[in-house]
Amino acid sequence: MAEPTKLAKDDEPQDDATPNVSEVETVEAASEEEAVAALDAHVERGEPILQVRNLVKHFPLTQGILFKKQIGAVKAVDGISFDLYQGETLGIVGESGCGKSTVAKLLMNLEQATAGEIFYKGQDITRLSGRALKAVRRNIQMVFQDPYTSLNPRMTVGDIIGEPFDIHPEVAPKGDRRRKVQELLDVVGLNPEYVNRYPHQFSGGQRQRIGIARGLALNPEIIICDEPVSALDVSVQAQVINLMERLQDEFNLSYVFIAHDLSIVRHISDRVGVMYLGKMAEIGTDTQIYDHPTHPYTQALLSAVPVPDPDAREGRERIILTGDVPSPANPPSGCRFRTRCWKAQDKCAEEVPLLAVPERFQGTDSPAAHESACHFAEEKDVVHAA
Amino acid sequence: MLLEVRDLHVEFRTRDGVVHAVNGVTCEVDAGETLAVLGESGSGKSVTAQAVMGILDTPPGRIGGGQVLFRGTDLLTLKEEERRRIRGAEMAMIFQDALSALNPVMTVGDQLGEMFVVHRGMSRKAARAKAVELMDRVRIPAAGQRVGDYPHQFSGGMRQRIMIAMALALEPALIIADEPTTALDVTVQAQVMDLLAELQHEYGMGLVLITHDLGVVADVADRIAVMYAGRIVESAPVHDIYKAPAHPYTRGLLDSIPRLDRKGRELYAIKGLPPNLLAVPPGCAFHPRCPLARDVCRTDVPPPYEVSGTRTSACHFWKECLDGRAGS
Repeated sequence: MAEPTKLAKDDEPQDDATPNVSEVETVEAASEEEAVAALDAHVERGEPILQVRNLVKHFPLTQGILFKKQIGAVKAVDGISFDLYQGETLGIVGESGCGKSTVAKLLMNLEQATAGEIFYKGQDITRLSGRALKAVRRNIQMVFQDPYTSLNPRMTVGDIIGEPFDIHPEVAPKGDRRRKVQELLDVVGLNPEYVNRYPHQFSGGQRQRIGIARGLALNPEIIICDEPVSALDVSVQAQVINLMERLQDEFNLSYVFIAHDLSIVRHISDRVGVMYLGKMAEIGTDTQIYDHPTHPYTQALLSAVPVPDPDAREGRERIILTGDVPSPANPPSGCRFRTRCWKAQDKCAEEVPLLAVPERFQGTDSPAAHESACHFAEEKDVVHAA
Repeated sequence: MLLEVRDLHVEFRTRDGVVHAVNGVTCEVDAGETLAVLGESGSGKSVTAQAVMGILDTPPGRIGGGQVLFRGTDLLTLKEEERRRIRGAEMAMIFQDALSALNPVMTVGDQLGEMFVVHRGMSRKAARAKAVELMDRVRIPAAGQRVGDYPHQFSGGMRQRIMIAMALALEPALIIADEPTTALDVTVQAQVMDLLAELQHEYGMGLVLITHDLGVVADVADRIAVMYAGRIVESAPVHDIYKAPAHPYTRGLLDSIPRLDRKGRELYAIKGLPPNLLAVPPGCAFHPRCPLARDVCRTDVPPPYEVSGTRTSACHFWKECLDGRAGS
């Protein structure tokens, strides 16, 4: 059966300031194989494996029981764009309520986007359903935060890791499954003989390895990791991080790594995006964001992270923000950070700052020349002691 | 000395056997000093705090031995009524999860005021005025209007401020803070830790900070006690420990955290898993995971060796560790 496939044509040289998917055109593929070949060709051209454009998710707020009436919306994600390339890790950081977990769910198609597109190899997956969606989902898997609630306590480890094969039997024929599951256990560093044990017989770190094995079962290309190590102890955290890095090299995986721990994100990410109240504040390589941040929120966030070095206590500048994060149901006008920003002026309340390379840094090869959504973007090193 | 804990033992009787949660903890805190108790989950740091405060659930918990000297008096020998007079007034505790530590059906004003009604015999009206004053102290905006609000109407950071206000209400000499900022976002954590440090300085309180976060410890502590499997494995002034740890476990922890200020290579990972407290390994509890372990470690429990006048390490081979021969 022919599957209509949307292909994004993006032949122009990539412009860092305004990455956009132009001219979306529909191609009729003769067969599924041809569709897959078309998708792979997209990545071979060095284009992103995942392109997110103006992604929006609003959760309606309703009033009344019998006659529900919408009285507003929680703007959890409000216009986010980014690219993910093959084999790279994109870190997404932000405080609770900034929408980072909603982004994860949208990428997995577990939530229906209110607006915007997610192009997987040029194909918009937000409007897919049925078989086409199932095929895409095989390639995008997820590792969850809480290894205690994300594994079914009444299933054995073998059943948990093998369950994806029930949905995608083409990956592992019935007779081959047990061997496949044991292979996966071995890959994540667990004893293959544990296949008949139950989740409660494992520690937190081991459970997270089970979660990772399940994510790997279908040989995906992209793994969305939502706070994968925040529930683990420090000594176990390092083991799991090292495992994830090894697997990435081994299977050429692309990670979207969502976390609130800025040090871990720096360690694992090639590029980092900083979210605030449903919007991307700043995005760039790890060096650009951590050593040359230009958005005041990034600077405040980084300066607030305690550094495990008592000698740095005096030397570092601390930016202590006042107040709390505003409600996403009623975000401030203009720049969303302006209510807590020490640089805010009238312009910030009137004009929404766009995520772009600040004008003053355009065309320079300064590390500050990366996308930042601030009218008064300015470089400031807050991480290193003076 | 404000607080001295000597050879404290706590155990829990469970269906599967006796869990030895605290196995001989010795530490001390002076007025105006901050002691950080660092440890992973199950290391016994919270149980130690509960035993010191006298809020341990007994049963299943049981204090197996030791002394808790507060200004020279052994709290463990006091009657419950006597302890009750000390708790809250002389020593107070800040809990991790403010939402479950506060009473959801009482206004924050009533909860704060209760301290003054119970301990100081104030009238409700006077207590309420005190509550507003306290909320002002911990910089809750518009305290006068919010005193009648319930805990759920406050944000996480504000709730933690209320917890701090409650602990400070009677100006105690000692505060035990059990993971006070773990549930908070990093920018809010910075606000709350700043506030706590400032108030401690102002009142000259002793502070016991229980945490697993090596960053927070480096920021605020004077001394550190590192716990593993119910024992203090290393105790030292904060600068010494970060410069050159004298216990392989401490070294492993410091090496396994990624850095914010530079991109590191592969993280050092302490091999194996934290011990099962039903069956703590014989000898040094850390030996199955230790790069320095030798035969003596499997049989003999290391005593707290004196490394210098101000620091101890419970490792038979602390000298080697200090020289940097454990770890990555």
